[in-house]
Amino acid sequence: MSTIEVRNLTKAFGDVRALDDVSFTIEDGEFAVLLGQSGAGKSTLLRCLNGLTNPTSGEIRIDGEPVKGPRDDVAMIFQQHYVLGQLSAYGNALTGALNRTSFFRSLVGWHAEEDKFEALRALETVGLLDQANQRTRSMSGGQQQRVGIARALVQGPNLLLADEPVASLDPASAETVMGYIRSAAAERDLSTLASLHQVNLAREFGERFLALRDGKLVFDGYREDLTVDVIDRIYGDVQTADIREGTEVSA
Amino acid sequence: MSGGDSTSDDGARSGEDRPRDARADGGTEAQSGTLDRALRDITLTKRIKWGMAFLISVVFGFFFFEALSEVGFSVAEILYYWPEFQEALGDFFPRTTLFGLPFVDFGSYWQFIQERDLFGAAIVTLAMGFAGTVLGIPGALLLGVLGSERVTPYPFNFIFRGTMSVIRAIPALVWALIYIPLGGVSPFTATLAIGTDTMGNLGRLFTDALEEVEDGPIEAIESTGANRRQTVVFGMLSQVFTPFIAWTMYILEINTRIAVTMGLIGGGGIGYVLQTQRSLFKYTNMMATILVIFVLVVSVEFVSQRVRSYIRGEEEEGMSVLKLVIEFPQRMVRSIWE
Repeated sequence: MSTIEVRNLTKAFGDVRALDDVSFTIEDGEFAVLLGQSGAGKSTLLRCLNGLTNPTSGEIRIDGEPVKGPRDDVAMIFQQHYVLGQLSAYGNALTGALNRTSFFRSLVGWHAEEDKFEALRALETVGLLDQANQRTRSMSGGQQQRVGIARALVQGPNLLLADEPVASLDPASAETVMGYIRSAAAERDLSTLASLHQVNLAREFGERFLALRDGKLVFDGYREDLTVDVIDRIYGDVQTADIREGTEVSA
Repeated sequence: MSGGDSTSDDGARSGEDRPRDARADGGTEAQSGTLDRALRDITLTKRIKWGMAFLISVVFGFFFFEALSEVGFSVAEILYYWPEFQEALGDFFPRTTLFGLPFVDFGSYWQFIQERDLFGAAIVTLAMGFAGTVLGIPGALLLGVLGSERVTPYPFNFIFRGTMSVIRAIPALVWALIYIPLGGVSPFTATLAIGTDTMGNLGRLFTDALEEVEDGPIEAIESTGANRRQTVVFGMLSQVFTPFIAWTMYILEINTRIAVTMGLIGGGGIGYVLQTQRSLFKYTNMMATILVIFVLVVSVEFVSQRVRSYIRGEEEEGMSVLKLVIEFPQRMVRSIWE
């Protein structure tokens, strides 16, 4: 449970504005989906929220506290899983508990009893309890992504961020993984912001929607507001849109 | 702009026409003109290439002959001492008859191997290589990890890289000479020297392996709120765990060979036996020692290769440790007989 407040967030890479004056608020326990084409700024926004990237200007507050760097209470699920292939599913899940384990104890694998149970509970949530001892290197893409979710859950976050969590999965695995993310969020009452580029998946799983285009927030609303016209505005091919509207757009 | 367009159009058209009008005079002339030019260009490039090759050979040859005269290389000397070497060869390979046929007398080798307990000496050499490697690993890990730009910001990582370069610039044999005041001429000194050498060599290999780690898992660990040291260990080192073991096994192979040469300067082990027998001109005994050295080095290489291929295989199949232990004798036999 967390409230995210983003005020006038701008991130520039050289001359390119990846995020341009973005403001929004996500309430406690909301499951929000971030839409937009590739390069619209979705990843940059999530990385700013997670403290992996510092914004050029503007402010992010999570539960009223400004974001300055990676935080214990914000967990992230990555597109490429980024799980450690060398470790088992269980070992990977336990890396989520690093922030509350001392360096020496984490080095020798001396974890607190409740963290061990937390890791197993997270693996159970994503349906991988039976594969807990299996090396993640030998798992399928969908399973690896579920290990990534388990790691995020073990972190014990209030806010769950997911950067295109199912973009590199086949449609069936994509739905399974999205299902696990949603049920985990519901079970643990987490606020969630997941970027997706599959509109059908987004409509199926999201309640709240935010959409970025060229770094600007172009839509912020709920499922009933997400009409075909809106989707066209978010994704419509730039050139066709120009012709239809008969206007010159400098992209 | 439009002018350029029209020319290129013309060019395209004449190109299309060419097959049909190939025999037409105008076309052929223009064509042979371009072909001639192309051929001239190719010939010129070829000549330049040949010229360069010739020049390089001359320079190379010059340095080679300079080098030979520097070391006093002389064919006449080889011819002059050939009979002596032949005699030594006879001692290297003592002959006996087996079923009436001349054969190398392995019995005399075996006699010396038992007499001087060469396998015991080989164990000393192996111990030097193994202990030296293990002693060097912590230093190699420390220097190697801190030498990586991704752990220590540039230019401070060069403090550690530089240290490793200095260590590597001094051969292990020279390190042994440096350590003589510390432990005398002994296997102990040799082991220290091998350990020092390992810090430089293995550390450098570690640094190189670390350059290839992916950013993703590092960021993933960072995002869990792990501290800096945890991020290095879990995000970076866990990615290079396998290559680290493989490189360590490789260094163990090298260190075993170095341990043999350590004996030559008096560092003990089997190399020392070789040195003693050489100064006694006991060539048969020398060859017996060389055979044991061969067995030692090949065995270590064999084990190292097996470990490395097991690690690689495990990456693909995920073979369990238990399976490795249970099936070890079986695989050992298979690799020997097949």
